[in-house]
Amino acid sequence: MQILHVENLRKSFDGKTILSNVSLEISKGEVIAVIGPSGSGKSTLLRCLTLLEKIDQGKITVEGDVMVDSPHGHPRYAPEETLRKIRLKLGMVFQNFNLFPHFSVLQNITEAPVHVAGVPYEVAKANALELLEKIGLADKADAYPYQLSGGQSQRVAIARALAMKPDVLFFDEPTSALDPELTGEVLKVIRALAAEHMTMMVVTHEMAFARDVADRVIFMDNGQIIETGTPEQIFLNPTNERTKTFLQRFSENG
Amino acid sequence: MEWTNFIRLLNLLFNGALTSIQLFFYTLLFSLPLGLAVALGRMSKRPYIRGPIKFYILIMRGTPLLLQIIFVYFAPSFMLPEGFRINLDRFVAAVIAFSLNYAAYFAEIYRGGIESIPQGQYEAAAVLGFTKSQTFFRIILPQVIKRILPPISNEVITLVKDTALIQILGISELFRVAKNESSRLFSTLPLFVAGLFYLAMNWVVTRLFHLAEKKLSYYK
Repeated sequence: MQILHVENLRKSFDGKTILSNVSLEISKGEVIAVIGPSGSGKSTLLRCLTLLEKIDQGKITVEGDVMVDSPHGHPRYAPEETLRKIRLKLGMVFQNFNLFPHFSVLQNITEAPVHVAGVPYEVAKANALELLEKIGLADKADAYPYQLSGGQSQRVAIARALAMKPDVLFFDEPTSALDPELTGEVLKVIRALAAEHMTMMVVTHEMAFARDVADRVIFMDNGQIIETGTPEQIFLNPTNERTKTFLQRFSENG
Repeated sequence: MEWTNFIRLLNLLFNGALTSIQLFFYTLLFSLPLGLAVALGRMSKRPYIRGPIKFYILIMRGTPLLLQIIFVYFAPSFMLPEGFRINLDRFVAAVIAFSLNYAAYFAEIYRGGIESIPQGQYEAAAVLGFTKSQTFFRIILPQVIKRILPPISNEVITLVKDTALIQILGISELFRVAKNESSRLFSTLPLFVAGLFYLAMNWVVTRLFHLAEKKLSYYK
């Protein structure tokens, strides 16, 4: 089943094109890794899909609901009601975690289910504690974000997103702000989610992770999708020259 | 000075202080929320809202509060068209002038606080589905309050002392009472005692802000 469908997405900032001609789809249970050099538009793509940025042209459909279409070359977003419904299906994990500093870990996770989804507090709390158990932070329920390490913060951010039971979870370079040791504990959580067939799209610079976990890898450069395929195709037999150069540079550095 | 006279002086000053304290609380009651509205207007994307608000802040911060008190008191009785002219109560005029003036200062403090909250907080709230007003009141404002407590306490301490300005309207607040007693007794003592009154009030204000900061120190 198709969860997300993107057609000919175009996005520019101040006349500078950031994304052009981007088309892709995400099927249920699929894990997609998006790789590519800095400034290739990976993060912007994620931000467009999660409604943090408005697109300039193209069509985005989420589970049959049209988020935005541009029949006459101009973007026309769905009414706020529909967008609200769509937003609830999408989760996002940021590079810098963006936890709410004034809330405890538990409240960070329960706040949206209670106040956005209308879940009774006791139910939200039970669910949050279960999620904390799962990410190995059951003892941190009453801690505040400033008391957590980067890796712990990111795991809480993942739990916070999961608490809304999204149909697809986006990760915007989830380990880029972490040192290698902490990167491992976050990737472990994402791997566990992949094993449960959580639908995910992960922008990452962790090539080994992309190779091992993703069902499909998308290589982006200069605001375009250059190549897409299984990890084997992309990492072992890239057809495009730019993909080859990019991966070569990576293996030289790492 | 004899004890009975001194008690009498304390009693007079205390009554004057009550008027000052009333003005103090009314000003906070109106200017703290009004300042928030002004701050939001100042940050509006619409120039026809932002423009007038900027002008308002310029006037309020750029002219003497003393002059503003006089203006608010006298203007309605001669600047309004015939038939609409009213004589404001002195104390009401003082409260209006103070509220308008302090709202402008508070607005700029709020604005500084709001603009210091990282964009990521708004984005995290947006993807979780919070509405704009939920985001502001549940996520942003609590963090803003913690950050602006020190500059707000500055203004509130200044407000305690600024209440002395309403003596220009002939209101018997603490300072005016002290001045009258001073000339009646040919002594500067009443003025210094009044000074101790202001100091005591601001000691309380300082303690309260210290407590509030401590209460909000549970997170960073």
